[in-house]
Amino acid sequence: MENNNIWIGGKDLTRDEEFIKESQNEFNGLTPEKAALAAEKVQTNRRDFLKYLGFGLGAATVAAGCDAPINKAIPYVIKPDSIIPGVATYYASSYVEGGDFCPIIVKTREGRPIKIEGNSMSSMTNGGTSARAQASVLSLYDVNRFKAPIVEGEKVDWINLDKTVKEKLAASKGIRFVTNTILSPTDKRTVELFKAKFPNTKVVTYDPVSAGAILEANEISFGDRVVPNYRFDKADLILSFGADFLGTWISPVEYATQYAKKRKVSGADSKMSRHIQVESHMSMTGSNADNRILVKPSEQGAAIAYLASKIVGGSAPAFSNAAAKSALDKVANQLSANRGKSLVVSASNNVHEQILVNAINNALGNLGTTVDFAHASLQRQGSERELKTLVDELKGGLVDTIIFNNCNPVFEYADGLALNDAMSGAYKIALGYTPNETTTSANVIAPVHHTLESWGDAEPKRGVISMVQPTISPLFNTRQAGLSLLNWAEAAPGGSQPYLSFLKNTWKSGVFADQTDFIGFDGFWNKVLKDGVLNTSGGNAAPSFVANAAASMSRVSKPTNSELEISFYEKVSIGNGTFANNPWLQEMPDPVDRTSWGNYLAVPIDFDGVKRINGFNGLVDGDLVDLTIGDKTVRVPVIQQFGQMPGTVALAMGYGRDNSGLCANGVGVNVNDCMPVVDGMTQYYNSNVAVSGKVGKEKDFSCVQYHNSYGVTAKDNDGNTINADEAALGMAYGLGGYQGALVDRSVIYTTNLKDLGSTLKKVHHKREEAQHLNDQTLYPFNEYSADKYKQGHHWGMHVDTQTCTGCNACTVACMAENNVPVVGKKEVSRHHEMTWLRIDRYYYGDLKNPNVVYQPMMCQHCDNAPCENVCPVNATNHSSEGLNQMAYNRCVGTRYCANNCPYKVRRFNWLDYTTADLFPANQVPLNGETIPFGADNLSRMVLNPDVTVRSRGVIEKCSFCVQRLQEGKLIAKKEGRSLRDSDVKTACQTACPTDAITFGDRNNKHGDLAKKLASPMNFIALEEINVQSSVNYTIKVNNRDTSLDA
Amino acid sequence: MLLLVLCLPLLTHAEATIDDGKALFKANCASCHNKNMKSKSTGPALGGAEERWADYPKVDLYGWIRNSGAMVKANHPRAVEIYNEWDKSQMTAMPNLTDENIESILLYIDAVFTGAMGGPIITTNGDGSGTGSEEKGFGNWIYGLLLLMLGFLALILTRIIGNLNKIAAAKEGKFVETKTLTQTLTSKGVITFLIFAMVILGGYTTMNNAVNLGRQQGYAPDQPIKFSHETHAGVNKIDCQYCHDGARRSKHAVIPATNTCMNCHKAITVGSEHGTAEITKIFASAGFNPNTNKYIDDAENVHADTIAAIYKKWIGDNYMEANEIESLDKKGEKFVDNQWTDIVSSLTDEQKDKVFGPIPWIRIHNLPDHVYFNHSQHVGVGKVECETCHGQVEEMATLEQYSPLSMGWCINCHRQTEVQFQGNEYYESYAKYHEEFANGTREKVTVEDIGGLECQKCHY
Repeated sequence: MENNNIWIGGKDLTRDEEFIKESQNEFNGLTPEKAALAAEKVQTNRRDFLKYLGFGLGAATVAAGCDAPINKAIPYVIKPDSIIPGVATYYASSYVEGGDFCPIIVKTREGRPIKIEGNSMSSMTNGGTSARAQASVLSLYDVNRFKAPIVEGEKVDWINLDKTVKEKLAASKGIRFVTNTILSPTDKRTVELFKAKFPNTKVVTYDPVSAGAILEANEISFGDRVVPNYRFDKADLILSFGADFLGTWISPVEYATQYAKKRKVSGADSKMSRHIQVESHMSMTGSNADNRILVKPSEQGAAIAYLASKIVGGSAPAFSNAAAKSALDKVANQLSANRGKSLVVSASNNVHEQILVNAINNALGNLGTTVDFAHASLQRQGSERELKTLVDELKGGLVDTIIFNNCNPVFEYADGLALNDAMSGAYKIALGYTPNETTTSANVIAPVHHTLESWGDAEPKRGVISMVQPTISPLFNTRQAGLSLLNWAEAAPGGSQPYLSFLKNTWKSGVFADQTDFIGFDGFWNKVLKDGVLNTSGGNAAPSFVANAAASMSRVSKPTNSELEISFYEKVSIGNGTFANNPWLQEMPDPVDRTSWGNYLAVPIDFDGVKRINGFNGLVDGDLVDLTIGDKTVRVPVIQQFGQMPGTVALAMGYGRDNSGLCANGVGVNVNDCMPVVDGMTQYYNSNVAVSGKVGKEKDFSCVQYHNSYGVTAKDNDGNTINADEAALGMAYGLGGYQGALVDRSVIYTTNLKDLGSTLKKVHHKREEAQHLNDQTLYPFNEYSADKYKQGHHWGMHVDTQTCTGCNACTVACMAENNVPVVGKKEVSRHHEMTWLRIDRYYYGDLKNPNVVYQPMMCQHCDNAPCENVCPVNATNHSSEGLNQMAYNRCVGTRYCANNCPYKVRRFNWLDYTTADLFPANQVPLNGETIPFGADNLSRMVLNPDVTVRSRGVIEKCSFCVQRLQEGKLIAKKEGRSLRDSDVKTACQTACPTDAITFGDRNNKHGDLAKKLASPMNFIALEEINVQSSVNYTIKVNNRDTSLDA
Repeated sequence: MLLLVLCLPLLTHAEATIDDGKALFKANCASCHNKNMKSKSTGPALGGAEERWADYPKVDLYGWIRNSGAMVKANHPRAVEIYNEWDKSQMTAMPNLTDENIESILLYIDAVFTGAMGGPIITTNGDGSGTGSEEKGFGNWIYGLLLLMLGFLALILTRIIGNLNKIAAAKEGKFVETKTLTQTLTSKGVITFLIFAMVILGGYTTMNNAVNLGRQQGYAPDQPIKFSHETHAGVNKIDCQYCHDGARRSKHAVIPATNTCMNCHKAITVGSEHGTAEITKIFASAGFNPNTNKYIDDAENVHADTIAAIYKKWIGDNYMEANEIESLDKKGEKFVDNQWTDIVSSLTDEQKDKVFGPIPWIRIHNLPDHVYFNHSQHVGVGKVECETCHGQVEEMATLEQYSPLSMGWCINCHRQTEVQFQGNEYYESYAKYHEEFANGTREKVTVEDIGGLECQKCHY
């Protein structure tokens, strides 16, 4: 039972004094000393008191004398049939952002989209979502949006814009249409029509994070320029060379859904897949892996070639990483033992490395099983090689007009600055959504709709079609990109909704003509719109491998001898900057390093096993360093990262945006231009890098890693405060101070699959012991609760830590559902983040190369809740359905409850984050903004009208989405039937791509929850403190092959 | 002691039975019987009912109130008399009322009728001033008398003690100066007492008024259209939910869209009371041209002058028709202008500069933002009648807020109202209550019993 060796970071490992002090302090920034200082400053004497008293009385009199405000009630003139005010309407649609895709259901209230849910009818995602899809609804209400057509900086109407553009296009000798991947077959047709009208047009497709090498390799290997349909649900052994397929790579929601199917463990005799990640920086996918093989970024090609030589044959180039070599030898054997049931993927952007990966999969018989081409993915279609050509053509004067299709190559492309220089003479037309580095210099800006305002379709995979339908009429004077193209090509159909007509016409001659189920088009159309998804026949069967693998062996990237290398990775939240202007995503902590609002240089950590961390360059979290890559130097804060390979550092790309909106500008640093372009392909690492020593301290170090950790402290023999577990930890590793790793405290249980049997016995024994002790009380809880919760509902939750990948979709879903405010960088650095649901990340196992377990932590709705007893005004109390209720208007802000919460899940509104206060805030602006994020009238349209917006001075926390429970109960009552599981689903549950969260009524003995609660894998966090939590977690099981570590 | 005596009336409340009666009256009777107990309404004025039934045993009156139909069938003379007097209309049976309940109601009726107690408290606009004192109970004069007697007694005792002290002091040879009245009144003790009393009184009044802040029972603002519920729901007996169709399926009862008005008012183009003055507002809002009986194309973008001409013609034509004249005289022109000005000012505000578009009604029932209320829960599932909370809407020419919409009022109803427990499969999960029904230990399940008083049933 490995519950003693988990840790959250370097600070708790070393028992950092400052950290211990901080964690003893319930509320950061309000130490007794500071409070005393503050009190000294505020000297209220008797006269002041009388003044305040007098003012108070006077104000109250004036307030009482005023009439209540007159509120208007504005009805419709003609009420649409589909809307009942007060009742949510749901529409099936798709989240599409370039090649990022997720089938969704959009919840609208009174015509406003307010929440994104997954579409459970989708064969790809089964209803899962990603944080980005969840947050996309907020982008709709982005205050930075282009609100009207602009020509040469002047606002014009569409007629004038079209006239200007058409004249320009007619006179152009070379037009380029620059776009990210287009998933929509209909949009592609608009481009074709445009090209027909302007034959000197060429389409330049690229992706913000490239998969160009995969496409080219597959064209060479199989004659099919696509990303294959990877089947993680059919693979018993997954080997990934740097591909973050659970977080960011190509189709993460789909892959996570599949991956989880092979990772579920129900008992001692269960089987699970083995996942081996080859990388230098711990990615989110790497954190979920059983084994990580550490190679430097520049060694990855050699590692692939080495593996290929073992499996396919041939001679590999030199590869000097002995540890990786020996591990790969064993992996090769295991792969061979799993023929047809293994999967090798790589994020490498080197064509020959990808050809070798194809060769390996081919040799392992994986083609047609785990690597399928019949339903190949179309989510990456671009190659930055085309951008390179564009730059050359611009320089050669072959191109004089560029149309940017809602993309930002100047920032996203590694040679973006060269592109920017080269295109300075060209006429630039931007089909833009919000300002960015590319639109800054555009001559014409034709603003586009948000996806939620658009008509359209998407074909993310061959034979998988998904619909896009508008859920709100356009907020501003914008126009769909496809319609702009059609207008310019003079091919737009007439009518009030020309693009809809175009879409329908495309479908009539396309998909409708190919199907046989429906005779009439309208019936077919309505069905497709209602479902949102449609499966048609796929493409060809598995092609055969025709590339020359031997030739590729020598052409993989060469390892460098440089002492330090840096890798650039994409964050789960903001991608390559595409989502940087979304406050929900900026505030969402990175799953692994747990930082928000910026990019932090991940440096390796070397722990001596006792007390000292020999930090890289003597750096600790939050130190500022000068990072020199090539000839560019940037100043970045560092964060110590477990699992980061010595001799490597890593930094997220996509930060440091300019002219891109309120929350994107100036957050983090931009290193996109530090990525070398080799053979036309962007390489996401650089070997020419140097890191200085500490040059300063980050002012607002907003890493939530050490916030709200639920460890406890105790006194040692000398009366000094220590972590309670120190002594016992000595037994495990000869060291102490693991945060959360409390002696006899159940926070997390982890085990290897082969030890699961014995671990289960130990955990059960421990649980019995805890339950026995809990029964020794004057107030027999069981008797009391049996009487109280025997009938009606008794809500409970089950969280499967085994399948939780840490993707944070639930965190963002929770923010959207419950109107959780965004607080900004400074407030996060002061421990004031407001998220009701956090995902705790713990390391365990090998100090040098640890495994990771994620624990979604929300209010546990304890039936014997410590927070309730200490509230002086009974603002938090218990319901007969087992909910720990929070009445905001009763709360007076003593924060006793937060203090007494063992799980640290209560959040206090330190400031007026929502401008919900009755009186205007008398506080200084936090982030230089005039009003807090999301408090403007446009962003407020995203608020859930069923949930109170909290004001300053009150505590809030997870409510188990009580508004959903009440709604579900009401529906059941109205229909006169018993409650079903499907009536009551929490926002986190529906967002989860891996079904890690199950919510339900514990009194329903036939429900989903009852089945989950019966699992022997369960434990309750801190069961021994007898708070009677309502949430069950499962033991985390890994399938680590320790022989690979040697 | 004097203190105690003074505080006594502040600490006690009116008798519980009258309070019960008041609540019961509101819940059960107020929808048909006038709350002043003196005037007739749908049902007779209730004041003096007991005297009118004095010739018969009390049980008969109880029976009559509980189930009048049964009494008429049984040919009870008084019952038949009233039955005939009221055009043979029957009162709704209320089998749930206990004898004590009825006695409480009768007590309350009597108290209101005799003037010992005010009717349901009606406050004006929002400030709720003066409500604290109106609650003064029925037997206050007894307390007054008692207070006076005790005060008098205290005075006598003080005097006696004072004199005795004086005598005692004199015996010991000391001379004690007799305090003058001014000295007594300005003494520390009296001043302290007065301040103390003022603080208590002030606090009590402040508290009461503060609690009532923002409540607006009786709120009846002038609406942009003089829409009369009396005409629509009362005279024409239109079902509440014909217009307020959200009540059965949504949290909002919904103020109907203008096109709902147009369903009828396409035919009824001139009002019985206000002529063209009010109904023209609906036409203007909907963009309907009553002259041609057609909707105006793209009314939103038609010039204001064109719109004005259409409706002025309509008003003018009707004026001429009513006054049987061929052309508009000066008076008529003024009439048309005035009416149109009123229409424009009613339908426009700072946010809306056109008459076309939604009618800016003034919201009467305002719940605070942190309260979740769902009409369909109450109307659909709970089968609560509209009148229970909204009162005799069919008698309101100008709609007013009938209930206080205070939390206490909600809670009280949740305590008393029975859940429609039987026949709804949803409530099967309350197995314990079903068992108790079966073995006879339970008679009813109130909203409170299924958690209806918990915070997060309404606040989340």
